[in-house]
Amino acid sequence: MKDRAPTVFAVDDEPATLKAIARLLRAAGWTVAPYASPAEFLERVDPDAPGCLVLDMSMPGMTGLEVQLALEARGVALPVVFLTGRADVPSSVKAMKRGAADFLTKPVDERDLLAAIERSVEKDAAARRDRAEVAEITERLATLTPREREVLARVISGKLNKQIAADLGTVEKTVKVHRGRVMAKMNASSVADLVRLAERAGVRRA
Amino acid sequence: MHLSWVTAAWSAAIAACVTIALQHVWVWVKDRSAIDHLVTAAAMLGTAGVGVCELLLMRASTPEEFAFVLRWVQAPVAVTVVALIVFVRSHLHAGRVWLFWAVIGTRVAASLVVNFLVTGGVIYSEVVRLQPVTFLGETVSTAEGIQSPWVLLGRLGTILMLAYFIDAAITIWRRGDRRRAVVVCGSMIIYGAVGVVHVALIHSGRLRSPYLLTFAFLGITAAMSYELAADVLRARDLAESLRVSEAKARESAERLGLAIRAASIVIWVWDIVKDEFWISPETRALRGFESSERITLDRYLDAVHPADRENARERIGVALAGNGIFENEYRFLGPGGERWFSVKGIVERDAGGRAVRMRGASLDITARKAAEAQLLLQREELAHLSRVTMVGELSGSLAHELNQPLTAILSNAQAAQRHLAHAAPDLGEVREILGDIVSEDKRAGEVIRRLRLLLRKGEVSHQRLDLSEVVADVMKITRSDLVSRGITASVNAAADLPAVAGDRVQLQQVLLNLVVNGCDAMAGEPVAGERRLTVRVGPESAGAVRVSVEDHGPGIPAERLTGVFEPFFTTKAQGLGLGLAVCRTIIDAHGGRIWAENNRDGSGASFHFTIPAAGPA
Repeated sequence: MKDRAPTVFAVDDEPATLKAIARLLRAAGWTVAPYASPAEFLERVDPDAPGCLVLDMSMPGMTGLEVQLALEARGVALPVVFLTGRADVPSSVKAMKRGAADFLTKPVDERDLLAAIERSVEKDAAARRDRAEVAEITERLATLTPREREVLARVISGKLNKQIAADLGTVEKTVKVHRGRVMAKMNASSVADLVRLAERAGVRRA
Repeated sequence: MHLSWVTAAWSAAIAACVTIALQHVWVWVKDRSAIDHLVTAAAMLGTAGVGVCELLLMRASTPEEFAFVLRWVQAPVAVTVVALIVFVRSHLHAGRVWLFWAVIGTRVAASLVVNFLVTGGVIYSEVVRLQPVTFLGETVSTAEGIQSPWVLLGRLGTILMLAYFIDAAITIWRRGDRRRAVVVCGSMIIYGAVGVVHVALIHSGRLRSPYLLTFAFLGITAAMSYELAADVLRARDLAESLRVSEAKARESAERLGLAIRAASIVIWVWDIVKDEFWISPETRALRGFESSERITLDRYLDAVHPADRENARERIGVALAGNGIFENEYRFLGPGGERWFSVKGIVERDAGGRAVRMRGASLDITARKAAEAQLLLQREELAHLSRVTMVGELSGSLAHELNQPLTAILSNAQAAQRHLAHAAPDLGEVREILGDIVSEDKRAGEVIRRLRLLLRKGEVSHQRLDLSEVVADVMKITRSDLVSRGITASVNAAADLPAVAGDRVQLQQVLLNLVVNGCDAMAGEPVAGERRLTVRVGPESAGAVRVSVEDHGPGIPAERLTGVFEPFFTTKAQGLGLGLAVCRTIIDAHGGRIWAENNRDGSGASFHFTIPAAGPA
């Protein structure tokens, strides 16, 4: 799964433009998946496919902003590069606020387009890597016993073993054992490392 | 001196006859066609002759003398009788022709032929002796003799004459001319009958009396003379009324002349058979014709502006072949420059239906044409201004229309550059890319052409148009505007629509206005799905095509449905309020109608316009 090549999805209702852009991107070495309508794209979109989306802003039936909302609703986190015929400030602001990767005006120069795609694909890859890491940490967290979780919450808030033992109504020695297990299960090399992992996974301090 | 009543009465009658006869002769001498006067004069003179003879008979002293005069009295009697019946025939146009000839035949035979051939004459073969009788206190001669058998021929002639008079009287009475039937024929019948009976009684020896035919004839000829005098009176009345109507005609001709000069009307007549125009002399010079020049149709059309000439010739041909009415407006080239005329002519045909003449009038409408041209110019300028404004409103949409092909071209070109940068370029792909570039470039050119057409400030040119094409053009221009406003547009065009005659740009302008207005009306609709715009093109009854633009906005308040077409009516913050007013002007100029109404289902409004269908190509 990690080795899956990124795909550039392109959606434009204008067949000639769609064809030309797909052609350019392929010539630049990208794998391109062109769609002539937002509905067709939304129907076939694969949430796991890496890459980015090049989306025309104004299309009959559904605007680019609506497509963006629909993707969000489906949990698809593809970065979106918007293409628009007119540099319309309010809608570009709206798009960027919703996390658009880029906002380009037609006719678009290949340098701008390719650079935006490159950035977006990288961003997507980073996000995917990030999501994979969090998923792994969460997996490790799941192996902890309730007591070990309690210890973890206190370790990452910087409490000493003695304080933890007092909190949990146990002895320092027992805490030390739990702590060792947590470090091992979480595959942490140091307390600082453990804090980082716990933060990534969103564990609450106690 | 002893006064003789007989001499006095007969002399007076003779004198009266001669006097009246001379008057009629005089009339005939002045007017040789007045044959009736000559005939009446002959009857009068015949009567005078009879009077002279009767006087001589009364004064006869021997039977020989009596017989001699009695033979000769037949001549004036014959003249009088023939004159009477000729008068009835020629003046009253009545009586049967065979009867007419029978009367003349028997009278001539009895009075002029037999009378002078047989012994003693047609009445008595022999006068035996004279018989004096007392008449008007005098002793006058009457005769006693042996009646000739030929007297019956004379009597037959007299009966035929009376029959002829009666026949004529009936005809005239039936014709409705009762006065003449009574006065002329009635007197002829009564005096004739009395005279005949009196003469018959004398000849048969039952009555001892001198002849009194003079007075019977005098009565009849007096009636004839009265009839002719009545004609003179009628003629005078006729002459008077003719004089009055002539004066009226002259006056109305003068008035017409004045009106013609005041209204600059030219009257002309074209003799089609001779191919020659008559044109009032003062206007000949204005058209550049010589005063004595023969003007044929070709020469006439030479004076017409070349641009209008063929059309005028064609219309004349149509008038000659068709309903006979020629109507046209064209320019004349004269020494004073070019002038516009409205011309109307009517073809006159002979009994065989052949066009022989065309009469017409031409009205100088140069001033009106100039005003019309000025108005047209202003109207065109306003229409252009309104178009420019609208194109401004649509500029975003039009830019988008241009952007699409430009985007495709740029990406295609850069893709091709990348292909060519490879060591072994895929030339097939490059060729395909170049093909796409060409077609996209053409598409961009088309957008620009449409835009230029709309912005052009040109003369209105009417041509045959398919309105559904005009609608398709407008939908292309507004496509991206509709998309960006979230409006779903659909076109519903009927097949086989008749062509209309119109100016493409102006009709596009009207439609653009209606489409943009419809979109504006729906801008406030909350749900994008409800923003539907439908354009329909379909046949309208009475040979016209109707275009409707239906929106689903809030509709138009009823009291404003007509006001929307008034100038400066606007509901838009930055609107000029001229769009619909200009639309109405354009549609009016096309002979069509434009109106607005709210949709039946209560959602939104529809704007409709109709354009009359053009004739067959």
